[in-house]
Parts: sequence; C-alpha cells; structure tokens
Amino acid sequence: MTKFSVSRRTFVEGGLGLTVANFLPGTMPLASAATMEESTVAAAKSAGPAAVNGMIWSPYLVPMQPVIAEFSKQTNITIGAVQDISIFDAPQRAMAEALSRSPQFDFIHIDSNMIPSLVSAGYLEPLDEYMKKANFKIDAVGDYGTFMTYGGQTYGVPTDGNVHIQYTRKDLIEDPDNKKRFADKFGKELKFPQTWEEEQAIQEFLMDPSKDLYGSGNLRNRANGPTWWYMVYYSAGGFPFDDDMKPTLNTPAGQYAVDIYLKDKKVNHPEAANWGTPQQIPRIAQGHVVSCQYWDGTAKLNENPAKSKTTGKWLYGLVPGSDFSGKRMHRSISSPLAAILVNKYSPRKAQAAYLALWLGSGKNSIPIVTDPVNTFNDAWAKEHMTSDAVKNAYSPAGVKAIEANFQVVAPPIYLTGYLEFQDALGKNLSEAFVGQLPAKDVLKKTEDEWTAIIRRIGQSKLKKDLASYKALMPKRIKPA
Amino acid sequence: MTVAALSAAEAPPSTPTRVVSRRRAIRRFRLSLLAPLIALFAFVLMPVLLLQLYFSVHQWTVYLGSWWDADYVGLDLFKEVLTDPRFGWAVLRSLAFATGSTFGCFVFGFLLAYLMRKPFRGQALYYIIFILPMLTVPVVVAYTAEMMLYQSGPLNDLITRLSGIEFKPSWLANPDLALMTVGLLEIWNWTPFSFIIMLAGLTAIPKEPIEAAEILGASKWRIFWEVQVPLLRPVILLALVLRFLEAMAEFPKTWALFQGGPGSATETLPVYIFMTTWQYFEISKGAAMSYIVMLLMIVIVLFAIQLLRQEKRSLDKMYEQTDDKKVEA
Repeated sequence: MTKFSVSRRTFVEGGLGLTVANFLPGTMPLASAATMEESTVAAAKSAGPAAVNGMIWSPYLVPMQPVIAEFSKQTNITIGAVQDISIFDAPQRAMAEALSRSPQFDFIHIDSNMIPSLVSAGYLEPLDEYMKKANFKIDAVGDYGTFMTYGGQTYGVPTDGNVHIQYTRKDLIEDPDNKKRFADKFGKELKFPQTWEEEQAIQEFLMDPSKDLYGSGNLRNRANGPTWWYMVYYSAGGFPFDDDMKPTLNTPAGQYAVDIYLKDKKVNHPEAANWGTPQQIPRIAQGHVVSCQYWDGTAKLNENPAKSKTTGKWLYGLVPGSDFSGKRMHRSISSPLAAILVNKYSPRKAQAAYLALWLGSGKNSIPIVTDPVNTFNDAWAKEHMTSDAVKNAYSPAGVKAIEANFQVVAPPIYLTGYLEFQDALGKNLSEAFVGQLPAKDVLKKTEDEWTAIIRRIGQSKLKKDLASYKALMPKRIKPA
Repeated sequence: MTVAALSAAEAPPSTPTRVVSRRRAIRRFRLSLLAPLIALFAFVLMPVLLLQLYFSVHQWTVYLGSWWDADYVGLDLFKEVLTDPRFGWAVLRSLAFATGSTFGCFVFGFLLAYLMRKPFRGQALYYIIFILPMLTVPVVVAYTAEMMLYQSGPLNDLITRLSGIEFKPSWLANPDLALMTVGLLEIWNWTPFSFIIMLAGLTAIPKEPIEAAEILGASKWRIFWEVQVPLLRPVILLALVLRFLEAMAEFPKTWALFQGGPGSATETLPVYIFMTTWQYFEISKGAAMSYIVMLLMIVIVLFAIQLLRQEKRSLDKMYEQTDDKKVEA
C-alpha cells in the first residue's frame, strides 16, 4: 500500500484550476439545463393560455387527467370540450372533420396509421417546429418514434404503445405431466414457442374445449384479423408492395401467412370469427386461452389479481417468428397505435401541440401507462422500460417482452387509404375463415381490390408514401 | 254549343264573392301550412340532393384536392356501382333482410293487435309492455342481444334446458345465421310498430259488416278472412310498406353486432354505403350508390302508393255497394 499525500500548494492550485474550468464552455454542470418537461412548459407559456378541444375516447383520457391538470397549473392551457369517441370510430369522424376543414377539434387522439390519410386530406399540423422550440424528443424504444412520421415530418405523439407480445400459459407448459406427454408425442420439449408452427402445436396439444380452454385467443374478426396476418407475413419476409406500388401479396410468403392464419380455426373458440377484444381479453385473463399474441396492455390486466384469474401464470416474450425466408425472422405489430395529432385548421394548434408533447414525455407518461383500471395506454418510452411503476404494473417479464417486441415492431399498411386496404384484406381473410372464400383465392382477390384502390388514390402519390412506410419497417430480424 | 246559346236558366250561377274569398282563405291557409315544409325542402334537402348529385358525377376522394376541382365523369360512377358485384350482393341481402323482417313484424304485430282489439282489464299494462321494444335504442338492442346470443349464452342455454335437446347455434359467428340474427332482432325491435298500426286499423273497422255476418251465421274464421281482412287491406299494406322502407335502411344493429362480417354475411346496403363513403372515403361512389338506392326506394314507394289507391278504390266501391243495399232495403 502506498502513502497518498497532497501538499498545501498543490491543493490550492488544484482548487483554483477547478474553479476556472467550471466556467469554461462545455463544462457547465448538466443539472442546470432545463428538462424536456420544463422546456415544454416554457414553450407552452409563450403560446398563451387557452382551452383546447379534442376528440378522445374516455378510457384513454381518464388516466391522462392528473397529468393534464399539472400542465394546466403551470401553463394555463386547459382542456375545453371533449368529444368521447371510440378509437375504432375515430378515423371516420376525423376524415369527416378533414373533409369540412373544421377547426372544431384542436387535437384528435387516433390510430397513428391514419397519419398518411389525414395528411393527404390536409388535416394535420406538423409538430417538428413545436418539438424544436420545446427541445422535445420522442424517446421511444427501438425505432418506434418513426411511427409518428410521414414524409420526413412528425405528426403525432404516442400515448399508447400497443405492441403485440407473446402470451403463453406458464402453468400449462411447465406442468411435468404436460411436458412428458408432449415429449412422448412429438419427441421434443414443451417450451415457449419460437415459431408459428411451434405455437400451433402447443395450442393444439394443450387445448381442452370440454374445460372451455382453447388453444388460441387471437382475433379473427373482420376488423382486427389483418393485424395478426401481417405479423406472419412480415416474418416470412413479405412486404405488400413492390417499388412500383404493385401489390405483392399473392406470393408464397403471403400464402404461408394465410395458411397459418386459417389454422387458428382449429384451436380458437368456435365463435372467434366475430369476436373482438371485448370477448377475447376477458377470456385470456380468466384462463381460457393457452397461447396467443396480444396487445401489451393485456399483461397489465393479467397481472392485476383483482381482475384476473391468471396472475403469475403467464410467460411473456417475443412473438413467434418464421424460418420461411431461410432465416429466422420475428415481426411484431402495433395497430392501432393511439397518438395525439394536431388539427392544422385549429386556432389553438400551438397550445394543443404543447399539450401533446407534455403528455408524450417519458416521465409524464409513466402514470398514464400504469393506470391499473383504465389499461388502454400501454408502455412505449425508453423511460418506461426502467421504471419500477411500469415493472410493477406489467411484471418485469412483461416489460422485458415489450422492449423485445418493440425492436422488431412493424406497422400494418402505412399509406394513404389505410382503412381501405385494411378492410379489403380483412373482408377476404374473414370470408376464408368462415368458409365463404377458398383460401387460395384470398390474396388474388385482395390484390385485385388493392389495385383498384391504388388506381383511385393515385399510383404516383402512393409511390411517394411508400418511402415513409418502408422507413417504419424494423431493421433487425430479431431483438438485440 | 256556345255560351251565348245557353239559356239564362241553364247558365251556371255566378259564384258569390264570399265563397271566392273563403276559397282563397283556405288556399292561403294550406299554403301557410305547407310553407315550412317547402322551405325545408328548398333550403335543406334540395342543396344536399344537389351536392350529392354533383359528387355522383364527379370523381373525388378526400385525398385529391378541393371537391370543386374534381373531374367530371358523367355516369361512369353509376355504371361502376351497377357492375359492382359487392353492391349487387348488398342489394340482395337488404331485400332479403327487409322482406323477412317486415313479414315477421307484421305477423307478430297483427297477432298482438288482434288479441288486444277488445278492451279488457289491465289492457294498458299490456299495451306498454308491447310497445317497449320500439322505445329501446337499436344499439342497446344490439349490445344486449350480443350478451344473450353467445353460443354458451342465456338464450341457447334456456332453450336447451326447456327442450332437453342440446341447442347451440352460433348466432353471431356463423355466416349462414348472421343476417337472420339481425332479422330476428329487427322483428323484436319493430313488431310494436306493426302492432300499433294494426291495432288502429282493427279498432277502426265498422261494426255493422261484422254484426251482419254474425247474424247470417258466419263462423269467426270466415268473418276474419272475408270481412275483417279485406277491410284491413289498406292498413296492412301501409304497415308493410312503411316497415319495409325502414328495414331497408337498418344500420345500427347490423353495424354494432357485425360490421359487415363474419366474412361479408351482413354487408347490407346501408353497411356497404357507409363503408364506401366513410371507410374507403369514396365520397363520389357513395353518392352514386345513394342515388341508386334512392331511386329504388322511390320505385317501391310509387308501387306502394298505386296499390294503396287500388285498395282505397275497392274499399270505396264496397262501401258504396253496402250503402246502395241499405237504401234498397
């Protein structure tokens, strides 16, 4: 051990040196810089007080209210009139607003996949200038922040991640008896599914309709079905359009996705053809489902013992992948991704924009995404992934799964005319699911219908949109 | 023959000034009654119809600039709609739905009205109960029915318990049953409408023909078929036509329960028009569709008016004959 000694002269010189260095440019202490929330408040104050009106579904708004109250206290920007419209009906209403160039709503809370359509209809205000003034950044996990952009500009602030994660019943796949029977039957271990085929095998093996236990809880109704189809299709290496905006659905990857999609009929509830979230979410939480992909907020519900019979009984993880393209690829999905968008025709657009930024900061959104009762807003920010409150709400494994899936998350169709493309595919998949259309005709028919949509909206316009769509696609084939 | 040739006795008496001014006053009164309707038509309905006409002959979607810059396409959109197989199927589904549900509403409405035609103790309570479904908001009907109609829901369970046979139709997920499910809900929801009209008709039937038939020894069944039903025919027709038109426009229950699915089993005309206009934002095609449907409805209404006139004429003739017989007697 060496003796450490400092002379009085060295001490004084060092002290002087540190004092001078403290005032040199670039060495100012970081603690004195304003936080993102503080600069948002400062920018909002400069916009002046106002009561902003919006269109938002109450289950999303309720957990935001305390956070909004704090913003109002600091800026005198309050919430005025609110129209309570379901997120599923909001796109139609928003387009009607765009059509009439109405200034009625200062902001709308809506599926961000509507951004291209609403920008094309001239309704949305770009938020980049406001973000710059407020020194604001969408600090989302992975490349998720790009989901708010279109044509190189930012048009939304997320409030709800809504990424799909994998849910598989831990108690069932870790049951020794089940493990033995599975090994005897298939010659391999019963474990968390890595591919779509593995999941199908687990679902078929563990389901027991006599106990009202079905293999799958995935949605196969007309409105939501395509969301599941895209995950399989993307993971098989598919992309719906070529560079010339010609549909490329009717490919081996597309047909593979249709086959996986339709096999779900064997393992899902007999009424799944018309079931949406109101039916399937309670079934998942009450223990009637073996394995499925679902929005991440359901983990919050599962882990709430007051509302769930399956608390602690789930394994959460990455959605299954596919080897179809020759390399194992995983693709999760986020749809609908609820975000706040600002109306270009609003006289209070600056105030609405700053309110959106305030709600979209990682720190401020923690109470929003952890509300135990109104579980609609799901975690999405980097800060959420390390927050104890978020881990407590979703379980540490749930948060880990969310983070993993965000790294490979893709959108559905991200183009002008999104709803149209979506419904054509949804209708044909649904017809095949209920036996009205042969499986081999689904993609051919959808391609024909999509071609008509492209012709109507304009091929050259959509070709420009394609760059924004491709920018949203994940760059890695599996999480880091 | 000229006017001059008429004798003074044959010339029509000149109309007194009082009568003329009275006629004018009646005309003014009628006009004042109609004026709000005419104003409503001219300033509210007409602009909408004209705007819709404009859209149906111009190709415009929300994404393509201002609506007044849209390209004129003549009747192309009408051709497109009429050759769209999805539209054709939607028409057939709507016609099947409207016919089935109208018939159902009528049968049950008539039955209830027949039971209620004579006063009895507690009639008002029954009246309220029978009217209740009509006062229920269609969306509430849909959501309540959804809870009842699950495969393992209360309705199937109740029928299974009562019959002792396992009864498990999938009302909400089977594409062969889906439209019928909405039809049954429509019947439940709107039977009171037919009931009210038929009850009004039944209570307005003159007693004399029935009493005469009874004196002549006719059976109740014969009185019903040969006296009451013929007298009720205009009312029956009115109930059927009004209900059919309403049923053709049914949207809330179909949308709330199925959104056109499963598959495309419940994609009726209102659903398809809504989707075209507000899901696909093809405002022009939606406008053309609406015009075609409007024309279809006008044809149905004109046909119904024609039938009603015929019925009225034959009823008038019947009453005239009865009056003549009375005079002769």
